[in-house]
Amino acid sequence: MNPKDIIRKALEEGRTKLLEHEAIEIIKYYGAGVADAYLAKSAEEAANIADKIGYPVVLKIVSPDISHKSDVGGVILGLRNRLEVMDAYQKIIDNVSTNAPNSRIVGVLVQKMAEPGGIEVIVGGLRDNVFGPVVMFGLGGIFVEVLRDVSFRVAPVSFEDALEMMKEIKAAKILEGYRNTPPVDKNSLAKIIVATAKLLEENPEIDSLDLNPIIAYPDKAIVVDARIILKKR
Amino acid sequence: MASRESSGMEAFFNPRSVAIIGATPKEGKVGRVIVENFKRRFKGRIYPINPKYEEILGLKCYPSVKDVPGEVDLAVIVVPAPIVPRILRDCGEKGVKAVIIISGGFRETGTDEGRRLEEEVVEISREYGIRVIGPNCIGIYDNWSGVDTYFLPDKKMKRPPRGSISFISQSGAFASALLDWMAYNNIGVSRAISYGNKIDVDDIDLIEYLGKDDKTKLIIMYIEGLKNGRGKLFMEKAREVVKNKPIIVYKAGKTARGSKAAASHTAALAGNYDIYRAAFKQVGIVEAESFDEIGDFAKILLMQPLMKGNRVFVVTDAGGIGVMLTDALTRQGFEIPVTPDDLKNELREVLPPHCIVENPIDLTGDADDERFKLVLERVLPKPYVDAVILGALPQIPGLTNRFIDYVADVWSKYRKPLLVIDIGSEEAVKFKVELESRGIPVYESPERAARALKALYMYSKYVLRGGI
Repeated sequence: MNPKDIIRKALEEGRTKLLEHEAIEIIKYYGAGVADAYLAKSAEEAANIADKIGYPVVLKIVSPDISHKSDVGGVILGLRNRLEVMDAYQKIIDNVSTNAPNSRIVGVLVQKMAEPGGIEVIVGGLRDNVFGPVVMFGLGGIFVEVLRDVSFRVAPVSFEDALEMMKEIKAAKILEGYRNTPPVDKNSLAKIIVATAKLLEENPEIDSLDLNPIIAYPDKAIVVDARIILKKR
Repeated sequence: MASRESSGMEAFFNPRSVAIIGATPKEGKVGRVIVENFKRRFKGRIYPINPKYEEILGLKCYPSVKDVPGEVDLAVIVVPAPIVPRILRDCGEKGVKAVIIISGGFRETGTDEGRRLEEEVVEISREYGIRVIGPNCIGIYDNWSGVDTYFLPDKKMKRPPRGSISFISQSGAFASALLDWMAYNNIGVSRAISYGNKIDVDDIDLIEYLGKDDKTKLIIMYIEGLKNGRGKLFMEKAREVVKNKPIIVYKAGKTARGSKAAASHTAALAGNYDIYRAAFKQVGIVEAESFDEIGDFAKILLMQPLMKGNRVFVVTDAGGIGVMLTDALTRQGFEIPVTPDDLKNELREVLPPHCIVENPIDLTGDADDERFKLVLERVLPKPYVDAVILGALPQIPGLTNRFIDYVADVWSKYRKPLLVIDIGSEEAVKFKVELESRGIPVYESPERAARALKALYMYSKYVLRGGI
């Protein structure tokens, strides 16, 4: 489905928060590197998807009623073969039925595990009353949560603007590599920032979004989790 | 929309005739101060309007603007809020196209009545195609045409000399304080506008007008917030203006956070001020973070040419100032290059052996005017020098008034960013006044000088890369 259809469907169903696979699909549509993720409705289907995208994978519950997936046993990491995937599928369904009995279950997301290493960053977007679409960049974890070390730009954002945003944060040097860590692929990150600005401009129904975390490697940047919030109608 | 933005602004600044509605001869009243202001400087026709008087301060007074025999280009309204709609309608009937509503008592009161009155005023102005500044504002001070609706008496608020700085202020009190301060500091002003509730004319119209105004070389803005949905257009217009003249913005309300319930991390993190800062930066607006910086930045941007790189040379008669400057400049990201051999040799030829030719170049406490001149002549023109700061403490015996002539002469030959640090009492103030009258900005602290140079550098960088 294209972004417009995904958004329309969510609004028709009265949802203002897109499901994770929907959000990932939209981000991917705009050309950002994502950790491929598909929705499975059965253990068999989950295993088939895992075979296709490659191991190891992670399974996550998809429900409009659950926002803290780990708390209800809705996430299982590091699955290395068909059998483990099928077991995990059933286990997630059981956990959720026990821990969040009244939640609607859409299915289970099968997602390729992020490779080890890399640096976690966040790219966000929001719609400001005065300036319209705005994008944000920062490093993940304590940098964003405790130090609020982030930079902003009003859309449209050029590739150069995006590179500039990365230089503006106080922790910019971490992206350049330190000790034995090589520098991250800033061009790929810049593409994600530009894409975020563009998708906000082209989809006025979106109120705000977080791509958090994005894992930045020396040769690529992968969006691992995405949250897209629509405007309340 | 595009035509509306730019149209009709001229009548506010260069009217041939003005009606002052609510004029009065009563001492201490706003309606009197404004008549006095216009009488003092304005060359066009002045029509006081008040049904209670035949004559005010020697001018024939009319019961209504509709009774004025000739055309009225600008009307200034100072009557109580409840009758403003009726008065505005009279202006519409008369064919007045520009109105400044000084009166308060509208939306800013937070009452239903105030809001209703303001909406009525908006409707009437649209119906007749009247451009409105205000309500709840102090309006315009124009140093060329003599339009002066600042209702602060001449004795309480000094009027600055003519000059090339214009400013736009959401706050009337700040605008009048700034004018008074500029008058006291002998800083020349072109036009100053305070727009209050901005029901029509706002920041965008004004930067567009001042952008095209050849009497304005630099714009200072005090803003609390732009109207919803106007941010993009503001950025677009500012980007155009900044190519030709700097805009310095002081954004008030830095600490308030958006009230948006935070459904996402990003929404929780994005303070309103963060977004304004990003927007300013994107279009090359220079942000002053404090009141001091407004003046500090204005003078360097006005007096000095663009700075082409970030390499700064320091020449001082006091080693301590050299170290302080090195710290302050480094903190702002400037490079303080080591003196290249060719320059070292040139300097050694003209300086006594105890002087230090390494950057920061220290001419020491026995320096005199000539020593500064010889060094500045050699340093300023070098291609690897983007700016020079002179740390010239006037307390040393060798420094006299000739220093000012020398510095100004060398500077006018090469026209590269040059500023002076000058700390002290009467002697220092004398130097400062003289140097600044010759176009060389002077700062009292190394830190403020470094911040000002950074403002020039950032502005230059933006303009030189073509405004992107």
